[in-house]
Amino acid sequence: MNLEILLLVAFGGAFITYVLGKISHRLRNGFAVSVSWFLVALVAFFYGKQLSTTFYSGFFDLPFILRINSLSWLFAIAIVFLGALSTVFSLSYMKGRKRTNFYYLMMLLVNASMMGVVLAGDLISFYIFWEIMSWTTFLLISYNRGPAIAAGIKYIVMSVIGSVSMLIGILSLYASYGTFVMSGISAGIASASSGYILLTLILFIIAFGIKNAIMPLHTWLPDSYAEAPSPFTAVLSGMLTRMGVYGFLLLMYVIVGATRIFDLGGFSYILAWLGAITIVIPTFIAMQQNDAKRLLAWHGIGQGGYMILGIAYGTSLGFVGGVFHTLNHAIYIVLLFMSVGAVQYRTGGERNLNKLGGLIKKMPIAFIGCLLGILGLIGVPLTNGFVSKWLIYKTLILGSSPGLAFAALIGTWATILSVYKFLHNMFLGQIPEKYKGIKKAPLSMQVPMIILSGTILLFGILPGIPLKVINEIGTSFGFQSLSVSAGGLVSEVSALNTINILAAIAVVGFIIWMFFRAGAKSTRVVQEDSYAAGTSVPKDRYHYTVKFYDPLFRMIKPYLRDIVDDFYNWIAGGARKIFGYIRRLYTGDIGYYTTYIILFLAFLILASLVWFL
Amino acid sequence: MIGKIVPIVTSPILALLIGIFFLGLSRKIMARIHWRYGPPITQPLIDIIRMFYQESVSHGIMFDLGILFSLAGSIAVVLFIPLGGMCALNSSGGLLVILYIMLLAPLGKALSSGEGANPNISIGVSRKLILSLGYEVPLILILLTLMIRYDTISIVGIVSQQGANWALFSIPLFISGIAYFLILPAILGIRPFDIVSAPQEISSGPDVEYGGKYLALATIEHALSLFIGNALFVDLFLGGGANPIFFFIKTLVVFVLCLFVNAVFPRFRIGQAIRYLWKWPTLLAFGGLIATLVMW
Repeated sequence: MNLEILLLVAFGGAFITYVLGKISHRLRNGFAVSVSWFLVALVAFFYGKQLSTTFYSGFFDLPFILRINSLSWLFAIAIVFLGALSTVFSLSYMKGRKRTNFYYLMMLLVNASMMGVVLAGDLISFYIFWEIMSWTTFLLISYNRGPAIAAGIKYIVMSVIGSVSMLIGILSLYASYGTFVMSGISAGIASASSGYILLTLILFIIAFGIKNAIMPLHTWLPDSYAEAPSPFTAVLSGMLTRMGVYGFLLLMYVIVGATRIFDLGGFSYILAWLGAITIVIPTFIAMQQNDAKRLLAWHGIGQGGYMILGIAYGTSLGFVGGVFHTLNHAIYIVLLFMSVGAVQYRTGGERNLNKLGGLIKKMPIAFIGCLLGILGLIGVPLTNGFVSKWLIYKTLILGSSPGLAFAALIGTWATILSVYKFLHNMFLGQIPEKYKGIKKAPLSMQVPMIILSGTILLFGILPGIPLKVINEIGTSFGFQSLSVSAGGLVSEVSALNTINILAAIAVVGFIIWMFFRAGAKSTRVVQEDSYAAGTSVPKDRYHYTVKFYDPLFRMIKPYLRDIVDDFYNWIAGGARKIFGYIRRLYTGDIGYYTTYIILFLAFLILASLVWFL
Repeated sequence: MIGKIVPIVTSPILALLIGIFFLGLSRKIMARIHWRYGPPITQPLIDIIRMFYQESVSHGIMFDLGILFSLAGSIAVVLFIPLGGMCALNSSGGLLVILYIMLLAPLGKALSSGEGANPNISIGVSRKLILSLGYEVPLILILLTLMIRYDTISIVGIVSQQGANWALFSIPLFISGIAYFLILPAILGIRPFDIVSAPQEISSGPDVEYGGKYLALATIEHALSLFIGNALFVDLFLGGGANPIFFFIKTLVVFVLCLFVNAVFPRFRIGQAIRYLWKWPTLLAFGGLIATLVMW
């Protein structure tokens, strides 16, 4: 079986879905779901294979190469798996909306182009797929119109800046080595000067840093995540943003190579510190948010910092931790956005945390998904996030980088504060009267959430399964192999054994439960029946979770403005003013235009006279 | 096998007994400082047994599960802490895992009481989370200092490397030791940091909806957390203990010192608490870290 089948199915499936949508919506939905699951099966088939296919297209005789290795496989399977779950989730979320054919076309195209990005073996096809990805994303972000258009434009402007920078980098590499093929470039660059490598790295990092939203290139992300339709936000946050991480891996370890990168010394250090800053500041900003999706978006930025930190630190533990965190983050953030999506779907699009509450009894599956999602995000033991964060912390501590380790650890504590507020304000506390009759999420929303919840626990309890694959990637990049076991790591310097932790908590929990059962039985009461020191708690809205962390914010608010965004907006405002002046030249009157032409010709004549005489 | 099972069974029981003893002792000592006679030292134990047989109300499944989760978390922490040469699960991730499992108790309680939908609970939980962010900043700095000084993330390794040379009396580390003692009342949740429960103000905060067996479990959890806070200080700065008896004596001394602080200080407001925690203890902890980096 050849690699082009994957892309053929992915792109072909997208267009056929659109055509089928013109005939019948049910047919289209069925086809979209089956294509996405078929892709999962296809990609799974390629596990452990190292393939490379070359096509010679007529375009300047440039080779068009597809290849798969352990790194692309890991990203590809995550892309198709999460893409398939999001497609299933879309079924009820998008029901009855306008332009659904367009939505499904774009959704499948995004997944197909992401797969193209990870399968591309030369920089030109990489760039082409990267651009398809950016444009389809833009169209989906602005799907909802209104404020979504502004968010989409912000995204595409930054994305274009990144692409241009990447294109310059690609062309400069071509000028130096005469090839676009990654293996050829990496052979050539081994003997390049440090200055040239640094230039290339910076050009590419602008592109990948914008995609992965590293500070100070993050400003597109909160608006886009908040405004995109929820199932697509899931894809956007889970895999699409993490194409930046894939880019970093490709650049640092495939093209330039680990030895040259760490010869540069300061480079990986600076990148690690950028990662640390990206952890701390966005996580504290997340605490202030009252919009459920925006809160998660800021965490999306913050968790990206952990990945960069792990990858840039460049030990085998850190590398494995960073890549594993990318995978874990994708799983739990998709789950969290689905949970928000389910709540939005039932409450008529409400995502203001101050207006929700008490939905736990009404939407139990969404609650469980949300709970496991935030536990993973915090990195509580027995969820997947714990293992990858543990690996990163351990790297930083044993590498004697207390500053980085402090940033990573304090980021986790800030995460707890904001995600507790997130969970509490949606599912716990008092339920508003108008949501008393709410129904639970439809089946097509519950199934993806249950699958993802299961995955979080599976990877948390048996981290050996994904770690084995990631360890292979690490060894293929020249890192020392780790001794992976089912429950984590076996090594001399304090091993990790999640199975021990599971056993401890399960046994202890069971014993306590037995005691709990043996005690006097409790009576279930309604939530209004609570202690209020002789008065009564008002029946409807008495929302005491507005300004949940006010005492803290009174102290730290001045430090938490998104200065970078303000700065970019200031530039944009300035540019708009200048363009405004320029536009006045275009009066629409032919006479003016004739004058311009004559003036311009006069200028040319004058210039040539001055020049040649 | 037997050698492994004995500490797994005995350490939680030991921790539980010591914790409940601490509860009784604190009431007695506080009473004596106030010139009262005080309840008998076994009073908390009697209360816990009695509460198990009393009526209670429940607000839902999370209300039940959360409190179980919280207590299980606290007991699990005990399994990872060396108690005088006895550590039930010593090779499972070290200090980083402890730092994380210590989360389960407050998180479980916050989830459980969150379903109670009572204003006092929300205020209490928000205070608890802010306060823990407050003391985690210096605490993480202190733990990093220790892990870098002894070049291990295993708490058993830190204890065994100290031996007779307690970290508290070694040259750069005593600064961190003082910082830890300054935040210990906040970790234990006693005055001047009893803002979370604040009985006169927000009716015990997160505990307000608990009655009967729920309150019993919450009390046990509180007792354990008192023990864990002190035990960590003893392990990290006082060289642990050669055997559980010595360990217990050291913990007792630390706890009584904390009780004196508890007896004479009034309660902080939450803003004041954060300002205090992020000023002196953090400066000291940071100084200790720098000194360790320079000297080692």
